[in-house]
Formats: sequence, C-alpha cells, structure tokens
Amino acid sequence: MQHQPLADLDDAVLAGRSSDGDVRAFEVLIRRYTPLLRAYARRTLGSTDELDDVVQETFITAWNRLDALDDGARVKSWLMRILSRKCIDRIRARHVHDDVTELEVAAPDDGAPDRVAEARSREEAVETALAELPDAQRRCWVMKEVLEYRYEDIAAELDLPVSTVRGLLSRARKNMIRLMEAWR
Amino acid sequence: MTGPDDVVLDALEPDDLDGHTIDELADYLDAGMQPPDASIDDSAACQNALAALVRLRRSSMGSLDAAAEHEAPADESWIGGVLANISLEARAGRDVPLRPVAPTERPVMTEGAIRSLVRTAGDVVPGVVIARCSLEGDVTELDAPVRVLVELAVRSGVPIHAVAEQVRSAVAGVLAEQTDLVVAAVDVRVRDLLHEQPDADRTPHHDDEEDRA
Repeated sequence: MQHQPLADLDDAVLAGRSSDGDVRAFEVLIRRYTPLLRAYARRTLGSTDELDDVVQETFITAWNRLDALDDGARVKSWLMRILSRKCIDRIRARHVHDDVTELEVAAPDDGAPDRVAEARSREEAVETALAELPDAQRRCWVMKEVLEYRYEDIAAELDLPVSTVRGLLSRARKNMIRLMEAWR
Repeated sequence: MTGPDDVVLDALEPDDLDGHTIDELADYLDAGMQPPDASIDDSAACQNALAALVRLRRSSMGSLDAAAEHEAPADESWIGGVLANISLEARAGRDVPLRPVAPTERPVMTEGAIRSLVRTAGDVVPGVVIARCSLEGDVTELDAPVRVLVELAVRSGVPIHAVAEQVRSAVAGVLAEQTDLVVAAVDVRVRDLLHEQPDADRTPHHDDEEDRA
C-alpha cells in the first residue's frame, strides 16, 4: 500500500485527518508539538518527571476532543490550552494549600537582574526572568502573553477573581520590565 | 550607559508615565491602540513604555519556541505509548450497516473505517492529500441516500479540476466496491493549497520515509 508522506503537511490538514481517525496524521502532530508542549510544561511545572505524563495526557484528551476544534490551523494553541489546564490540575493536586490561588507579594531576589544579564539572547533572558518570578505571577504571565488568554479566561481557569488576576499581571509586568532592563 | 530607551523604563508609576499606569498601557496595547488616546500617543514616556511592552510580548512568545528547540525530539517508545493509549473508538463515528447475506447477520462498518477507505483511495492521486471526509445523511439506515464530502489539499502546480475529478471517481469506486452505501453524490472541495516547505523543515523528517515503502 502506498502512503503519502505526511510529515510536511500543514496543521489544518493533519488536524482534519486526525479528527477523521487517521492515527498516522496524529502521530505527525505529536512529533511536531511534543518539544513545544514539554517546554511549556517545564515552564509551568518545573523540571519534574511529570512532564512526559502531562504531555501524553494532553494528546489523549486532544484526540478524544478533535471534534471540538473548529479550525485545524489553530491546533498548536489549542494543544497548549489543553496542556495548560492539565498543568493547573497538577499544581492543584500537589499542594494542600492551593498554590494556584496563593497571592504572592514576593518579588524576584536581589541577584535576579545579574542572572538575567548573563543571558546570551533576548529569548534566553526572558526565560531566565520568568524563572525568577513568583509562581502565580509567572503562570498568569504565560497564560496572558503566550496563550493569549484574556483576563477573564485566566480568572476562569485559575478560579480567581478577575481583579486578582489583574493584580498578579500588574506585578508580573513590572517585574519583567525591570528584569529585562538588566539584560539590555 | 543609558540609551534613549532607558529613560522611563525603570520608573513605571503614573508620575513617570504622564499620569497613566503601566497596566493601562498594556490594556491599550491589547485593544490594538483603539480608540486612539492622544494622552498616550503624544507622550514620549508612554511610547517608550509601550515599546518595552511590545518587545517583551514578542520575546515571551519567542522564548517558548527557543526553549522548545532545547527539548529533545519526542522519544519513539514514548510516542508508541501515547498511540497505544488513544482510543480508536473515540474517532470511529457511527455504525454503518452492510447488506446482510443471511437474515441473522447484522454486519456493520464504522464511519471511521469508511473515511479511511476514502483517504486511501484519494491519497493515491498524485499531488493530492485528503484533508477531511464526511458522510452526510442517515448512514445508519441501509439504503438511505448519502452525500460524501471530500475536502482536499492540493500541491501547488497540480491541475485542480483534473485531480478533483480523479478523486471523485476513485472515491465513488471504492465506496461502491467495499460498502453498501447508496451514494447520491461525491462532492469534492479543494480546501488547502500545499506549498513546498522550506528545506530546513524537511531534512530531519526521516521518520515518515519508511511509510512510503
């Protein structure tokens, strides 16, 4: 049986075929987006042995819900949103005190700007700066700036009042701008 | 040591931003800077802060892609594990009856299996990849008329009308041969044009090559 090579097809075609039950097409999506999803999970959960599991769960959920994906071209951000929810669930499960709703007023420590300043690229500097943020601020920042959620979406996902999300993002914004100043 | 951009950025309070908060500026950016606000547009301090926000936003996006490049490619055995855990039934769709040979039989084929037949038949046409296939009509009822919609992706440079006709006849053929569907029509719609991918994106993809054999 002759198969078309699928590896170079665009997301829309692969998502459509996957939704129709084509496991080979879905496998290409898995190969294409696993590194990105792992990077996202690592940023959210830290470097734990949960990364493989949470990415696997993401793909399994995605497969089951492919009908709900209206525009296959947006499969990348759709996968990241599914993953984001799974990460939040894991964070909730980790702590007796719900870390997701913890209202940190903490700021990056004094050594943070020096660590950011050592980065070799702007992207690496952002990565370092993000790692210096208190968890709740980083989580909101990533949802806002990477997943492009609205304030209301973040509030709903984290089960927080919108005003709290605004406050966390406000602190994250100031911290990020100041930390990135160290890099320039 | 300080360039022109550095002047306001360490001072993010309204006093430093002509009365605006950094959060108002972020909201303004989110709104596409509409409707225009002269008190922001005409303020050098606000413009500097907006520029910093834009840079930060771009590099926040870019940093995840950069971090992804440092992740190892998906491990083969792990991929196998994921695929072993997905449920084919989740995508099987409706049960489509076949004509029984004996009165006691109730043979069925899943909609998913029929879509797979359609994909395989259509993919054979050079320059074409089947993107989606849907069966419209009550396929659970033997002899009910069914319309088959096939959506295609076509490589650039391929004659669209000719390949669409080839797909239509290949699909009609395989359905007549292997199912008992009463096909009222096969509609073919070209949905995507496939462009050649840049070389950088193609070379590492040895994994699918073996599928061609």
